[in-house]
Amino acid sequence: MKRSASPPADEPRGFARRFALGVALWLAPVAVAWVLLTPFYNRFLTRAAENLLRLAESPNVTRLAVTRTHYFLITRTDFPPSRGHLSSVRATDTHFPVVMLGAFFLAVPGVGWRRRLGALGWALLFSALFHVVSLFFWVKFVYATQLGAWSAEHYGPFGQNFWGLGKHLLDLPFKLAWPLVLWAAFYLRRLLPR
Amino acid sequence: MAETTPTPGGWRVYAREIRFLAIFVAILGGGFTLLSLNAVNDAVIVPFTAGVARASGAVLRAIDPAVTMEGTVIRSPAFAVNIENGCNGVEAMIIFLAAVLAFPARWTARLAGLAIGVVAIQAVNLVRVVALFLTGVHFPGFFDSSHTVVWQTVVILAAVLLWIFWAHRFAAAPPAAAGAE
Repeated sequence: MKRSASPPADEPRGFARRFALGVALWLAPVAVAWVLLTPFYNRFLTRAAENLLRLAESPNVTRLAVTRTHYFLITRTDFPPSRGHLSSVRATDTHFPVVMLGAFFLAVPGVGWRRRLGALGWALLFSALFHVVSLFFWVKFVYATQLGAWSAEHYGPFGQNFWGLGKHLLDLPFKLAWPLVLWAAFYLRRLLPR
Repeated sequence: MAETTPTPGGWRVYAREIRFLAIFVAILGGGFTLLSLNAVNDAVIVPFTAGVARASGAVLRAIDPAVTMEGTVIRSPAFAVNIENGCNGVEAMIIFLAAVLAFPARWTARLAGLAIGVVAIQAVNLVRVVALFLTGVHFPGFFDSSHTVVWQTVVILAAVLLWIFWAHRFAAAPPAAAGAE
């Protein structure tokens, strides 16, 4: 009896080679789409992360903005305006792995377009949530560790380590591994032993 | 005769995916937490990164004899880079390691995959450092985006594709026969 968790019996031969070729072909078009959509996506991320931050602060003093050159800026309304923005990070560094993700999901051989695009849609939705949470951690990391005496006054050693490690993990390994995590969630069974 | 093996239902249909992702995330998070400790960083990552810098410097000196090394700094009359954490391919290696260890396979297949994968990822990373240095010399305006976006994508892509090749071609033996788990 064929178990529903098993890969389909007509699993195409040479899956890995066809997948690699597909990824190579899809990278450029997905990268172009990413470049074109980045300004809109950056604005969405600043709004969403600012709303998430407001759930964790009272009064609502954090303001996020994005520049034309794709940098996120943090300001606080309770700091003197002369201090300007407290920190900045390049927005594209936050979400460039989405290009890999798009290529991975579009390149899976032997999957119909409807299912392929459906899976990509879910993956993009989960990625947007991941990017919002990453931005939230970046702001908290700046508050906890980068503002000198103010940080020391408002965050203890545990808070500084928590936000620092969280930002480090989201900013490097999980950001880079995120496309693989999502791809595996949807398509791992195509690689698993039958 | 009717099949009597029960068909899994509910979340159990996805048990193997859940197991893979749980092990993958645990190894990835644990590995990077371990590497972020100062003692581990100083004893392992700093010397490893210095080795990557020396290897890259040697390749660049073969291309351009004017290139010199100063610790982890590679310098030419036109451009200089400091090879730091993040330029050493360790992220890609740990992602690859986590994926190989989380995938159901024989230990011999895992060890072979890890040995080949680590060498291949470091080879790609060497190309990355050399290419980035040459980009800095000849097209300095492209250095920043090449450094953070293009080559980071290439190295991670190489690790993921290596894992998929390994998993599909060499590791996909039934666990019962392989005695993997």
